[in-house]
Amino acid sequence: MSARDVVIVEGLRTPFVKSGTKLAKIHPAEIGRVALKELIAKTNLDVDVVDEVIIGNTGNPADAVNIARVVALNAGIPQKTSAYTVHRNCASAMESISHGFEKIKAGTMDVIIAGGTENMSQIPWLMPQKFQDLLNQLVAARSTGQKLGVLGALLNADFKQVWELVSTPPMLNTKFKPVNGVMQGLTDPFVGINMGQTAEILAKEWNLSRREQDEFALRSHLLAAKATKEGRMKEEIAPFMLPPDYKETLTEDIGPRETQTIEALTKLKPFFDKLTGTITAGNSCPITDGAAMLLLMSREKAQALGYKPIAKIRSYGFAGLEPERMGLGPVYSTPVALKRAGLTMKDIGLVELNEAFAAQVLSCRKAFDSDTFAKEKLGLSSKIGEIREEICNVNGGAIALGHPVGATGSRLIITLMKEMKRRNIQFGLATLCIGGGQGGSMIIESEA
Amino acid sequence: MSIQESINVIPQKIGDSSIAIVEFDLVGEKVNKWNTQTMTRFKEVVQELAKSSYKLIIFRSAKPKIFIAGADIEEIKSLNTKESFTKAVGAGQEIFNLVEDLPMPTLASVHGACMGGGCEFIMACDYRIASEASETRIGLPETKLGIIPGFGGCIRMPRIIGLQAALDIILQGKAVAAKKAAKMGLVDRVVHPSILAEQTLRYAADLLKEGGKKRRKTFCPTGLVNKFLESGLGRGIVFSQARKGVLKMTHGHYPAPLTAISVIEKTYGMSDRTRALKIELENFCELGITAISKNLIHVFYLTEMVKKQTGVANSSVKGKDVKHLGILGAGTMGGGIAYVAADKGIDTRMKDINMDAVGKGVKHARDLWQKLVKRRSLTEYDFRRKIDLVTGGVTYAGFGQSDVVVEAIVEDMEIKKKVIAETAKNMRPDAIIATNTSSLSVTEMANGHPRPEYFAGMHFFNPVHKMPLVEVIRGAKSSDETVATIFELSKKMGKMPVVVKDGPGFLVNRLLLPYMAEAAFLMQEGMDIDRVDRAYVKEFGMPMGPFALMDEVGLDVCLKVLKIFKKAFGARVEIAPCMEKIEKSGRLGKKNLKGFYQYDASGKRLQVDPNIYSELGLSAPTNPLANKDCIERGVFAMINECSLALIEDRIVETPDEVDLAMIMGTGFPPFRGGLLKYADSIGTKYICDQLDHYLSKGAARLKPATPLVNLAKNNSKFYK
Repeated sequence: MSARDVVIVEGLRTPFVKSGTKLAKIHPAEIGRVALKELIAKTNLDVDVVDEVIIGNTGNPADAVNIARVVALNAGIPQKTSAYTVHRNCASAMESISHGFEKIKAGTMDVIIAGGTENMSQIPWLMPQKFQDLLNQLVAARSTGQKLGVLGALLNADFKQVWELVSTPPMLNTKFKPVNGVMQGLTDPFVGINMGQTAEILAKEWNLSRREQDEFALRSHLLAAKATKEGRMKEEIAPFMLPPDYKETLTEDIGPRETQTIEALTKLKPFFDKLTGTITAGNSCPITDGAAMLLLMSREKAQALGYKPIAKIRSYGFAGLEPERMGLGPVYSTPVALKRAGLTMKDIGLVELNEAFAAQVLSCRKAFDSDTFAKEKLGLSSKIGEIREEICNVNGGAIALGHPVGATGSRLIITLMKEMKRRNIQFGLATLCIGGGQGGSMIIESEA
Repeated sequence: MSIQESINVIPQKIGDSSIAIVEFDLVGEKVNKWNTQTMTRFKEVVQELAKSSYKLIIFRSAKPKIFIAGADIEEIKSLNTKESFTKAVGAGQEIFNLVEDLPMPTLASVHGACMGGGCEFIMACDYRIASEASETRIGLPETKLGIIPGFGGCIRMPRIIGLQAALDIILQGKAVAAKKAAKMGLVDRVVHPSILAEQTLRYAADLLKEGGKKRRKTFCPTGLVNKFLESGLGRGIVFSQARKGVLKMTHGHYPAPLTAISVIEKTYGMSDRTRALKIELENFCELGITAISKNLIHVFYLTEMVKKQTGVANSSVKGKDVKHLGILGAGTMGGGIAYVAADKGIDTRMKDINMDAVGKGVKHARDLWQKLVKRRSLTEYDFRRKIDLVTGGVTYAGFGQSDVVVEAIVEDMEIKKKVIAETAKNMRPDAIIATNTSSLSVTEMANGHPRPEYFAGMHFFNPVHKMPLVEVIRGAKSSDETVATIFELSKKMGKMPVVVKDGPGFLVNRLLLPYMAEAAFLMQEGMDIDRVDRAYVKEFGMPMGPFALMDEVGLDVCLKVLKIFKKAFGARVEIAPCMEKIEKSGRLGKKNLKGFYQYDASGKRLQVDPNIYSELGLSAPTNPLANKDCIERGVFAMINECSLALIEDRIVETPDEVDLAMIMGTGFPPFRGGLLKYADSIGTKYICDQLDHYLSKGAARLKPATPLVNLAKNNSKFYK
């Protein structure tokens, strides 16, 4: 079968909520279920036509290892329909769309739900290997004497866990110290530095001032707060009724601050490099919980079912780079996507560039506009092209909204396509950097 | 085909031993059951087996979901004298004795319903193996039909599973799943259904290896408390507690459980089987001929009748299966409807004006399931599956998928019409809207719908999860398919639908209203609220008295509907002066914890509010009327109105439907067989005469209606 058009019928997400707050106790599968169930309701989708459900997630909860299947069944997708989970770190929920895109384009399938879900509040602390060994010994112990022996060792180890946790620097792993799963996930396993430290490298190499970064963070908050206030975010957010009492319903993101000031941002201390650093909690994205889902179809199927799609997927591209400069990922992946789409940066009318760190976004924009960088690093004859401020993250970004790692990729596409429609833009680019040293980009075209 | 083929003996070999498999497969029927024919044939089979040299006998069923469903109720219904009961039931006892006395061991292999006589049969066998399929249910439901187990069940069950467990099953007419049965010792082994046949043979082989002996299983209590309760002294306590429990539940209106207790008390531990069975038989026959038992069997038939009905006369019309249900209004009714729908696997979407309201509806359903989870009758996983089916919002999202939308918003004709019109625009053209109105005209409301043939009434009763009745209201333009779909949907939700014609109060509320109005007059005339309610509950058997009922419904609603009825029915409806004063008293009933009764914060009914009489302009109650008059005035008012509703207005077609609706919708005492069975039992003439008598004392509203007068002329019955 020849290549077919792949359209996005609709996209919907839950509010993005700062970790440890309103959604902290809600399982990521449940957050995903709400997003999917509301997407089904909004589109009046006959779930029987869904061929596959593909969902991104990075926390990989032990009680729902293939979380996509759990989300699908709980949301009422028929049991006959297959579902699987994808993991490409920060781009997991863009990866899921790319899978759906390929399968529909090739004619293998017609209707795919693609999305992502994450509850970073629930990423567990991990026990050190030493402690796990003792637990295994306890379970295997037969005689009471043996059991008591192991129990003694466990109590001793337990004490050491707590002691090492409070008495050693946070980034230092020791024999008995429990490991914070979130922090571990945000540490590059190849070069051993934290994501924040990768941003510090970019800030220094691209000569970005603290002020510049803080101003960017402020911009993110003010734009996101404005978009919320003016009701634009409502178009992409499904209300989330909070169990078990349902007395409170979340209808907005918890993150954007209308009252954010540059002064408050300036006061914050650098988090990753106390002496020479510029990356603070204020100019980085917060740890966040949320989910986002899209309904993808072949154009033929969408027409047959009477849907009016919002956008068409033109292309996507992923590319790798040095893990310690992972923040520049978009610079590497975007040329790939542009080439596949047969477009240049000049054609792009709107950009969602994920805001992992202000420094990372700003260095990306510099690199996009640099002939030297293009020649030396990308092997291109000239720069990719400027990303003008007025078309970049016009409704704010992850610094304000947050970055639920496994869901962001889909959120970018949803936000992008809704804004393209409002502005009547033909081509839009969503792109993000990926922990581990990769970039992901996707280009969509308005259907209006 | 002959009855011979209904019970087949299949010889088989296990190693060197010959065994026989006796297979039940009642020809021409979906179920296996005990009736004269099968009993006679089975007796022959057992007598042959007794003479045979088989080393072991296996009993099993060839029906897919039934082992033996019990005794043929049609046959029980036809028995009217002690003699006929003695003959029929005695024959059953004798055959099960023959089974018990077979020289070789017997093994029952149970898959599917094993109820009543089926359960009594396997208890006469030596060993029992069952499949763990959900269809496998083992129990003794006899007391629900006003009788007791009569084929030795009262004797054998306590011996096998002990006194407490046996009383629990027999007194409540319970059935248990296979695993539970194994836990209590009612069956010996439980296996997956697909290997039941093979495992039955293996069990037989094990038994043969152990010597192939008969066994007399006797219950051995474990634990100190249980040992004490099985002892001579402890038993006394068990029996007296059981009696207290039954009386508390039934107010003495249901003799069967009490009889069962006394039979078990007399026979437990008795070594003389003949004497014990004789006691059981005598007591069974006493109960069998009572009107109560006949009435309960009548009610059983009414519920069976609904299972077969489609709600429309045209048999070619089938209701559509409803997979997606929309609900407008997430209040108590909306939330309750969401609960019963999602509980049965229907995807449910609520809409209300704000998320707070929607949240309340979801919580209403969630709380009901949570109670079951706490009681361990629902697993966490099943809970998840059910609650995930309940969603909602403030838009029409999801309504495009709905097969049916139930409207449960404010009782206001104009608002309802507007919302119905708007909703229809957001639905598929072939989808149905059903209103849950309790007082407005469905026919008029249908004018709000652009396609009124897709509109009908679906009237649930509060609390929705408890009250089994749904009145399916056929508007003037409702299509057959619409009515059939709502009828089918009600059944899918586990409810009992009755199709009624449009008219003020439809059926149940139309009959209840005169009853409640009459209660107010009783109070006006000096009766104590508590005394009237008690009389209705304890003497007549209603689940609650009229005043408690009015509190539940809401006093404002009662008064509003009374006024509507007064307009519609004229002189037949009068409003007692004290009732008129309710309006200004601020008393709304249970919903504001202030009605005829006082309530605690959680809504639990306490005592009658001592201030109520003076507040309504009455002096302290003097109780001038006898309880009998109080009850008659209320109940006869219902019968009087019913004669008009049934015979003149044809709101429903048959007395069967009236009785079913009253029992399922108001809890009218089932042992009386329903409102009209009761009317027939005391005679239309008596009712008419009494109404005339009350009329002569000035109660114009109680004037006997023409159709009732016509019946009374020859003392004819409502039931033909």
